[in-house]
Amino acid sequence: MLLGETALSAFLLFAGSTFLSFSTRFGQSGGAQITEASWGLVLGFYLIGLVQSGFSGAGLPFVSADVDYVFTAPVRTTEVFTAKVLLNSVTTLLAFPPIFFLYLRATFFYDTPVITAVVAGLVTLVFFFMGLLFSADITLAQRSNLGRRMSILKYLLIGLILAASMMPLITLIPGAQSSLLLGVIHLLPSGIVAEITVGLVGDLGIGLGSYVFDFALLLVWLAGFSIIGVTMSRRQFYELLQVTNPDQSDASGNGRGVISKLNPEGKSVWSVVRSKERILMSRTKEARGLIFSALILSVFLVIYSLAGTFTSSPTSFLLILFIIGSFGSGNAMSWIEKERLWILKTSSISLRAYVKNVFLARATPLLLFLTPAIAVVAGLLIPGNLGKPEILLSIVLALIGAVQIAAITMGGSMYFAARYAQSSNDDILAVQAQNLTNIKRFVFQTAFNLLMVGPLMLLVLAAGWLLGFFGIDTLVPLGIMLAIAGLGYSVIILNSVLNRAGDSIRRREDL
Amino acid sequence: MLLADLIVENLTKKYGDVVALNNVSLKIGSGEIVGLLGPNGAGKSTLLKIIVGILRPTSGTVVLDGIDILNEPEAAKKIIGYLPENASLYTALTVTEFLQFVGKIRAVSDQDLDSKIPESLRAFDIEDKKNALVGSLSKGTKQKVAIIASMLHDPRFLVLDEPLSGLDPKTQRFVNQWITITASRGVTVFLSTHNLDIAQDYANKIAIIDRGKIVAVGELNSLRKMANTKDDARLGDVFLKLTESG
Repeated sequence: MLLGETALSAFLLFAGSTFLSFSTRFGQSGGAQITEASWGLVLGFYLIGLVQSGFSGAGLPFVSADVDYVFTAPVRTTEVFTAKVLLNSVTTLLAFPPIFFLYLRATFFYDTPVITAVVAGLVTLVFFFMGLLFSADITLAQRSNLGRRMSILKYLLIGLILAASMMPLITLIPGAQSSLLLGVIHLLPSGIVAEITVGLVGDLGIGLGSYVFDFALLLVWLAGFSIIGVTMSRRQFYELLQVTNPDQSDASGNGRGVISKLNPEGKSVWSVVRSKERILMSRTKEARGLIFSALILSVFLVIYSLAGTFTSSPTSFLLILFIIGSFGSGNAMSWIEKERLWILKTSSISLRAYVKNVFLARATPLLLFLTPAIAVVAGLLIPGNLGKPEILLSIVLALIGAVQIAAITMGGSMYFAARYAQSSNDDILAVQAQNLTNIKRFVFQTAFNLLMVGPLMLLVLAAGWLLGFFGIDTLVPLGIMLAIAGLGYSVIILNSVLNRAGDSIRRREDL
Repeated sequence: MLLADLIVENLTKKYGDVVALNNVSLKIGSGEIVGLLGPNGAGKSTLLKIIVGILRPTSGTVVLDGIDILNEPEAAKKIIGYLPENASLYTALTVTEFLQFVGKIRAVSDQDLDSKIPESLRAFDIEDKKNALVGSLSKGTKQKVAIIASMLHDPRFLVLDEPLSGLDPKTQRFVNQWITITASRGVTVFLSTHNLDIAQDYANKIAIIDRGKIVAVGELNSLRKMANTKDDARLGDVFLKLTESG
């Protein structure tokens, strides 16, 4: 834990410097205002990540032992709900030291008192806790019998909150700012926290008392999510434990049972493996989370390219993509929980090949979603940069690199899952993903993924310099060569990491 | 004299300082039904898991029909069927999908799958569950599905870990009959069980394991002599005598 906290704090101190200098490069207005917009976006992405985990069922950290012992005890479900969310918040509390260091770094940058970093950190903690409640509410809402109309409203509301979380990014687009947009942003939890925290550490010349209304609004959000969660937990709690009834599981609601979709006739064993994976993802709502990640990533790609900052630094684009790619890797983490490894380990198939085909089944939808978004971005950026060959080369390589980074981070997460995660035997709560509570492991995984995608980023960074070195005439052959080198590297790294994942499963005896 | 189908020699499995199996040796002939008995924590599941290739021993060898499981695990797994204790199945697949998936990764041909799956579902009286999600099945029905899955590839050697655990009497009798019929077709069955009556009635040979060591192996009469009990002593009494003295 100590190691994880130290590493994360060090990372944020470094990233904080990059973030602060990066956020002032937009050149639109004062630095702290832009920092607020950028920080609001980061916090928004955090909320999106929690929503994603809420969709995948990780919003409530229940285990099978709770079914037999906790739920059969004379304890109110609301108390169980509260206790579990509080338990889930322990890891959130561990985020306070690194967050404090981030704000501390900001106080050095803006020359403000250290106490402002402490207050900002505490406000952010409230936000984190609120996010956990939001995620829990989404998990509970998944199983609620609200009826078709209310269900549509429910998803609309979630969609609105997600879209609103992305709004700060729009403010980075030249000319896109408006007082209405800024007003809406400042009503949302991520916007409120960004306003308070950056206002405090950025010393925008406004007294602490002026944030009382903002903080009260944040508490209203917190209370709202709490009330929703407590209310739903009273009604929907035991629904979480219900195994899907085949008579009710027909998507059309006709009660005719599930239609078997595997259809192995004429297919290779690997085609059947991929089909199995897709069926499991669709029936356990995991596909929803995957599509969600892909949509967010695609929207981000398009809006970010419109912001105009990409052309000044393609590598910053890749770094942010790497962070966003972690959303997709969350889906990859859960793959092993759904596996029944005794079946695989007692068959004669190659576990290396098995893992690769599981990867293909999981990564393909995400990458297919990304490709049109990348095509749109290419259509937006390339025509305007035809007269700037160095920028053009970086753009093309970065766009190709984006797909590769998404694939590599997914592969890396699959490897870490194979190495460390647990296979779930929890039939009743199989849809509840097991949260990654080991911060040290998360830091190592992030560092591992960053190490793997680093060469691709260096490739983009070096592209412009190489073109300058070899001459503009070499644009096309150099571009092709670098693209092939990047692709070749990605294939080699992915193959290696997925082989290691297969070997890990073969060696592990605790699964 | 029957040819030995499974030869286990000097098998040891350690987890750090804990010795789960201690120099275990065993021979099982073709077509035999061998019951593996032992107290909880004796090492039964560990022994079975090494035989089917899930665990690797610290030392020793396991040879199945001339195939060394440790050196040629893929070849050995093609002829072994395995039913674990409390088999964990893919709950979000239907029964048919699950059996199709297992059959495919065990290299059963499409033609065989098309005929075997419906036949097996009929034989086990769960044809009406073919499109039910595995997660919605009762324990007994899940066990039947797991048993069908263990046999799809026509294994010559069947390893069953507590196959009757948690089953109602009717299902238990069904499974016992199925084991007998399977063995009569020449399949060697090696099963662990706590149900001594079942072991006594169905097994040709009994192996008793206690604290990681094989305490006794043989037919019931020879075990009675070993335990120094009466000629008509029940297996339960023999078992207690042999494990108490260990």
